Amino acid sequence: MLRTIEIKQSIFADNDRDADALRSELREKGVFLLNLMSSPGSGKTTTLVKTIAALQNELRIGVIEADIDSDVDAHTVQRAGAKAIQLHTGGMCHLTADMTRQGVEALGVEDVDLAILENVGNLVCPAEFDTGAAKNAMILSVPEGHDKPLKYPLMFEVCDVMLINKIDVLPYFDFDLDKVREYALKRNPKLELIPISAKTGEGIDKWCDWLRREVRAWQNR
Amino acid sequence: MHEMSLAIQAIRSVLDFADENGIDAIDTVVLEIGELSLVVPEYMEEAWNAACRSTMLERARLRIDVTPGNGLCQGCGKVYNIVENRGTCPYCGSREKEILCGREFNIKELLVPE
Repeated sequence: MLRTIEIKQSIFADNDRDADALRSELREKGVFLLNLMSSPGSGKTTTLVKTIAALQNELRIGVIEADIDSDVDAHTVQRAGAKAIQLHTGGMCHLTADMTRQGVEALGVEDVDLAILENVGNLVCPAEFDTGAAKNAMILSVPEGHDKPLKYPLMFEVCDVMLINKIDVLPYFDFDLDKVREYALKRNPKLELIPISAKTGEGIDKWCDWLRREVRAWQNR
Repeated sequence: MHEMSLAIQAIRSVLDFADENGIDAIDTVVLEIGELSLVVPEYMEEAWNAACRSTMLERARLRIDVTPGNGLCQGCGKVYNIVENRGTCPYCGSREKEILCGREFNIKELLVPE
């Protein structure tokens, strides 16, 4: 004979609890953790390098690079002047709050105002797992197309800010900025959109304004 | 693979639950997966079988209950299945809707030997 034990618990419940705990610890310490997500090749690392160059005299920045393998990104970020560590996910397509905690501990955040978690390049799984970050950001690049908010709705719903990268190549693609704005805002009316080109530096000032504002608000809470 | 990460997470949650509640044998784990949850049940089963090796769930059965992806049409107020109708209300043609159910990914229940 079998007995039924009702659980009715979301499989994300454990992770959500870990994420909330990490978030409140980081708030106590005054560390703003940004979870940066995107597809592979959208320009996360290049955007980070530009961001570090623009803010390194104002904010103490640390970067956690998550990748399935390799540490090329961590080296690139270190050369840009920020402290960085590489976290290998061992085949996992996203980061959980527990893995994020390991990254935060390995990085050491006592001397950090802004910690940036470069999540695994993927628009599906990272959106489902709360990492414990203060805010979620994503990059969508012009070559990926303006229909992505329709195809990967959850990613657009969980983000607070969306960078539209590679706007320097807009003339060569059928990418409609108005459409992407419409589709993304339909998914998430609170989403802030900032068009940038990490290559030319266009829009990086607006992105840095967003970061300054959010880090300040987090630390003054 | 997407399902693999979710399977690992689900297995961990079940093992924790069993540990906390002193359960030492599980016959069946029942997951509740919504049609709109981006999880493919067939892939989930494969991933589950791979991920539960050398745990107490190795011999347990997995049952997946699929919940329908239903939406409340903002145009005419009727409820319809979003997947079957490809997101468009079959009564009035509106695409505006509130999702009522179908995004679940729950551990629904465990069947354990008495």
